[in-house]
Amino acid sequence: MNVAADVIDMKTGAPRSAPVVDIRGAVKRFADLTVLDRCSLSAQEGEILTLLGPSGCGKTTLLRCIAGFLTPDAGEILIDGKDTVPVPVNRRSVGVVFQSYALFPHLTVARNVAYGLKMRGMPAAEIETRVTTALATVSLTGFEGRYPSQLSGGQQQRVAIARVLVLEPRVLLLDEPFNALDAKLRGSMQMELRQLIKRLGITAIFVTHDQEEALTMSDRIAVMRTGKVEQFGTPEEIFDRPANAYVADFVGASNFWDGYASGGRVVLPDGQTVATGLSGEVRVMIRPHNLALRPAGPQASSWTGTIRFRRHVGALMEYEIGLDGEHGLRALALRDGSTASLAAGDKVSLTLRDAAGCIVFPRS
Amino acid sequence: MTRSLPRRLLDEILSGSGIWPAVPAIVVLLVVAVIPFAILLSLGFSEITVARGVIVSQDFSLRYLTTALTDPLYHTTFQRSLTLALMTTFFCVLLGYPVAYLFLIGKPWVRRVILVLTIAPILTSGIVRTYAWIIILGGRGVVNSVLLDLGLISAPLRIINTQWAVVIGMVQVHLPVMILPLIAVMSRHDRRLDEASANLGASRLGTLWNVVLPLSIGGLGTGAALVFTLSYTTFVVPQLLGGGNYLNAATMIYEQVVYSLEWSKGAVTALILMSTCLIVLLIFAWLTNLGTRWTRVAQR
Amino acid sequence: MTTGFHRAELLDRLGIGVIVALAVIALALLLLPAAIVVIMSFDTRGYISFPPAGFTLDWYYKVFNQPVLVNAMLTSIKVGVYVTLLCIALGVPTALACVRGDFRGATALSVFVLVPHMVPGIVLGVAVLFAGALFGIGPSIWLQSISLATYVMAVMVRTVMARLQRLDPLLEQASANLGATRWQTFRTVTLPLLLPAILAGAVFTFIEGFDNLSVTIFTHGYRDRPLPVELLAIVQNTNSPLVAAVSSVQILLAMLALGVISLTIGLDRVNE
Repeated sequence: MNVAADVIDMKTGAPRSAPVVDIRGAVKRFADLTVLDRCSLSAQEGEILTLLGPSGCGKTTLLRCIAGFLTPDAGEILIDGKDTVPVPVNRRSVGVVFQSYALFPHLTVARNVAYGLKMRGMPAAEIETRVTTALATVSLTGFEGRYPSQLSGGQQQRVAIARVLVLEPRVLLLDEPFNALDAKLRGSMQMELRQLIKRLGITAIFVTHDQEEALTMSDRIAVMRTGKVEQFGTPEEIFDRPANAYVADFVGASNFWDGYASGGRVVLPDGQTVATGLSGEVRVMIRPHNLALRPAGPQASSWTGTIRFRRHVGALMEYEIGLDGEHGLRALALRDGSTASLAAGDKVSLTLRDAAGCIVFPRS
Repeated sequence: MTRSLPRRLLDEILSGSGIWPAVPAIVVLLVVAVIPFAILLSLGFSEITVARGVIVSQDFSLRYLTTALTDPLYHTTFQRSLTLALMTTFFCVLLGYPVAYLFLIGKPWVRRVILVLTIAPILTSGIVRTYAWIIILGGRGVVNSVLLDLGLISAPLRIINTQWAVVIGMVQVHLPVMILPLIAVMSRHDRRLDEASANLGASRLGTLWNVVLPLSIGGLGTGAALVFTLSYTTFVVPQLLGGGNYLNAATMIYEQVVYSLEWSKGAVTALILMSTCLIVLLIFAWLTNLGTRWTRVAQR
Repeated sequence: MTTGFHRAELLDRLGIGVIVALAVIALALLLLPAAIVVIMSFDTRGYISFPPAGFTLDWYYKVFNQPVLVNAMLTSIKVGVYVTLLCIALGVPTALACVRGDFRGATALSVFVLVPHMVPGIVLGVAVLFAGALFGIGPSIWLQSISLATYVMAVMVRTVMARLQRLDPLLEQASANLGATRWQTFRTVTLPLLLPAILAGAVFTFIEGFDNLSVTIFTHGYRDRPLPVELLAIVQNTNSPLVAAVSSVQILLAMLALGVISLTIGLDRVNE
């Protein structure tokens, strides 16, 4: 990521305003373990940003540093250009929606939402008006007198959101907010939440390990690994132009084919070529949907293998194909006439659908 | 395959699905607790004759009960017991709650120290722990020696055999019983609630008052009830630190039953002790219930 | 940052500081008395006076050469053992029935066995003494042991119940599925898993049998005077470090018990 991308909008070329959240080289160590390793990223006004990575990649630690539950050992975290480190946790304009929501079990919905306003010493009458508005925003009018234990998971999540929104925070932080919900509810809540945040124009930072959730929710995604930001970009950039093999592997299913580049190109076994600036040993990423397969026959390409097994993926069929002396490749195909008869043990030949969809990485 | 009766019985006991395994315990509890309590109750309403440790006759009489209820000595003694126990409970809450809070916010080694220092006294004899206060508060005890050496006083203070000596001893002896139920609550406390509270703008004191305290009312109630019961009915501490001139209800029972062998009086005193104790405990339970109403809302 | 901001922060720190200070005072209060008793037990003088004038082990020598004290200790050890055995024999099966029982009143039963421990010990002691007198049963080491067992059985039942409730029932089902009979399952799966809880319960019941005064003082035998009764008498009547030495022996016993508990169920499980 270059510096210019921070200041100039890549699409319109217009200068961007100063970032709301600006993380510069944040470092956090626990004993000997470095959990955050010089992390840098920024979120623009009204942007939804996602920290994506497997557990232990430091995404939650970064979130907790922004909220003030942890203090970074080095680096800066700026909100609206001001360093947050000296600001105590209860004075930051940062609202956190916790993974398990952390609703106060001894307080009713209304008093949960009123909590922050009460701490700010707001008069009771004004608190009531604001709580009513906040609950209406998340469509929980009529639930004021309920206790958290009397609500469904989705309702609890909405109380947790209302509880921080009522304080009109500069930044909204959400720590895996959909984890506690069942799969079916998750999808609709994701849409609903994105719409709500966009409507209110809040800057939000999400943490998730779920790539689909990240692709659905975010304006930009930071893919993290062992405390480092591997790539920071829009969902399209991350998916179509992964910066390295790790990102390619983590976001979306990928095949890796090891080959040799010379003269600015790599030749695949089916004879097609992929352009590259690299030379020497390389690793080519091929998305499963970019591989076409057909029964091995007279007009077969020279790239052949045997189907190890096949698996239904909704309307599609995924095949795992064993190649000689190599790990398998995965191919995704529509269940149409050409492939319907293919079963485990059948010999097939492979062809690349679109050479432009492949990405070449150096092999280390 | 038919199995022998003993074998089936064994299976029944091992599976533990029937009331069976508990029967011996139930019999013992009936004989050694329930029946004796019934007898104690009946003796409170009786005129009895005791000969060489055996009750030879028992006749219905309200004499002892009415005497006790109108006796000024009883009034002052029970008033003193009640004051003493309530003071002890108050100071145990005052000192015990901070320990529980330190347990909540403390690092693992702090937690461990608190556990050891709380559990060790429970395993130590009450007499030994009270005796320690004789050494500390006595005429030539630790406090007086230190104060004399520092030149703060010219003659030893009379601390032991005063009400304050009894209160100090009681608080120290019963403090662990206050702390343990609180620690149980604290170790279940969800720290994310405290983070949420801070995130919403509460100071640490604000979080303590609005989140930690309301969520630990149950432990506070249990601890207070235990401390009250124990300090209301103990005779070791008043006996040793009150110097015999500080009579509470329990020492009164002890003297009536063991020394003056007035068993009817002793039975009446024990009954009054138990019923007043129960009344206070019910008040405690009522207060605890008020504070934990949210736990009993209809679950969805 | 405004000054109001600073003052609120300062006030907050001050408040938390006061609370932590109170906690430290409370913890010192829990530790100091025992420490002082142990220190005084080594004094060379014949009376208690702080600070100690020298170091000697004479008082410990005297403790173990006084027939009255040695007998009292032996009696209390016996009582402790009897109480523990009774509590294991009666309490462990009761815990099983309370947790596994599918009969009506299983909950009532688990409350019922806890009641004697909630009644003041002095009331239970007096009641047992009177009931015995009515039937011509005088105080003795047996009356003392059975009363104490009744009094503290709740501790054993609660400890074992807590362990049973956390026990995965699938373990026993797996054992049965692998062909074990009920007895084999109990002996090889259930019992070993319950053992730490039983051991911890045994420590508590032994200590109660050894140390209890409130029930003991009304039910003990006149010839078998147990240690707490003897100790109460000598604490009231003598002012020599001998008492401190006896007390130190008891404190050592408590430390041993603490060690056993932390090795069996762990200290953080005690309040269950």
